[in-house]
Amino acid sequence: MEKKISVGIADMKITRQEGILITYALGSCIGVSFYDPMIKLGALLHIMLPEKGKASDSNVFKFADSGVKETLRKLTAFGATKRRLVVKIAGGAKMFEMKGGGGLGNIGERNAQNVKRILMAEGLRVTSEDTGANYARTMLLDVATGQVYIRSAGKPERML
Amino acid sequence: MAIKTYEEMNELGLDILKEIGTIGGGNAATALSSMLNSQVTMAVPSVKILDYNAALGSLGDPEELVAAIFVEMSGELGGIMLFVLTKEVSDEILFRMLGKKDSDLLALEEIDSSVLIEIGNIVISSYITAMSSLTGVNVELSVPQLAINMLGGIMSVPIAMMGQHSDKIMMITGDFKIDGKALDSTMLLLPDVESLNVLMKKLGVE
Repeated sequence: MEKKISVGIADMKITRQEGILITYALGSCIGVSFYDPMIKLGALLHIMLPEKGKASDSNVFKFADSGVKETLRKLTAFGATKRRLVVKIAGGAKMFEMKGGGGLGNIGERNAQNVKRILMAEGLRVTSEDTGANYARTMLLDVATGQVYIRSAGKPERML
Repeated sequence: MAIKTYEEMNELGLDILKEIGTIGGGNAATALSSMLNSQVTMAVPSVKILDYNAALGSLGDPEELVAAIFVEMSGELGGIMLFVLTKEVSDEILFRMLGKKDSDLLALEEIDSSVLIEIGNIVISSYITAMSSLTGVNVELSVPQLAINMLGGIMSVPIAMMGQHSDKIMMITGDFKIDGKALDSTMLLLPDVESLNVLMKKLGVE
C-alpha cells in the first residue's frame, strides 16, 4: 500500500505524485480536498470552526477562512493553478442536538456553508460533497489519481 | 487569580480537579453498581490538558464505533460531560439489563437505546451531584442524548466547543471496571476555562 499521510484536527498536509492523504472521523469538522491533476499535487485540510473572527489564534488551519487561504497559498507555491484545482468537501455532521440553535448546535452546518462561501469567493467550485447528516466520516485523497474516498461506520467505502 | 487558558492552571488547582473526579466518579460507579447489580469500581481519575489530536489519540482509535451519552452543562459551570462506551461495554450492559447478546450498535432497538441513555443519565447525574455538593456550584444538565458514531466524530463536539478560545482541551477522565473486568468505558468531564475560575473561587483557591 502507498504511504499514508495523516491529517489531524485543525491541520493540513500537501503531497505530490503519490501517497494517500487521510483525515479520520470528521464530525462537525470539514475536510477539504484540493487536487491539481496536471501536476498531481494534492492537499487535505481539516478545519474545525467557520471563522477566525477576532481570535488571536496561531493555528490557521483551525478555521475555514484562514485555513482555505493558507492552503491555497501553499498550493500555489508548489505550482498549483487555481483554475485547475478540483475541490471536494466532506463532514459537517450534526453529532448531537444541542440547545441554542444559532450556536454550537449546528456548527457542522455553519462550517459547511462557510467553507463553500469561502471557496466560491476564491473562485473555486466544489465538484462534489458529502456533508450534513449525523454521522462521522473519514476522508481520503489518493494523490496518484485524485480520487477521494469516504468511509463511515456501517457503510462501504465510497468514491466522492 | 483568574486564568485564561487551561495551561495556566496550577498544581493545587489540578489536584482539586482530580479530587472532584475521584468523588464524582466514585459516586457514578456506585450508581452504576446498583443499576447493573454488580461490582463497579473506578480507577484513579486523571486530569489531562492536551492539544486536540493528542486528546483524541489518548482516548483510542478515532474510527472506532462507540456509544456516547452526551450532556451539556450550564449554570455556574459550562462544558460537556460524555460517557463513552465501547461495543464491548454496551454489550455487557445490554446483556445484564435486557439479556441481549452481541447487539449491533448501528441497529439498536428503541429499548436498547433507552437503556443506554438511562445508564448514561444516572452515571452523569450522580457524578455531577457529587461534584455540586462538594463544591457548592449549581450545574444544570441538558437532556441526555445518545450518539452511536466514530469516536473522533463524537469528540469533535467538545473540541469545537472549546476550540474557539483554546488550542487545548481539558479532560477529567475516569475509567470504570465492572466485576473486576477492565471494560473500556470512560467518563469525560470537559469544563470550559471560565468554569475553572468559578470552581476555584468557590473553593477559595487563589
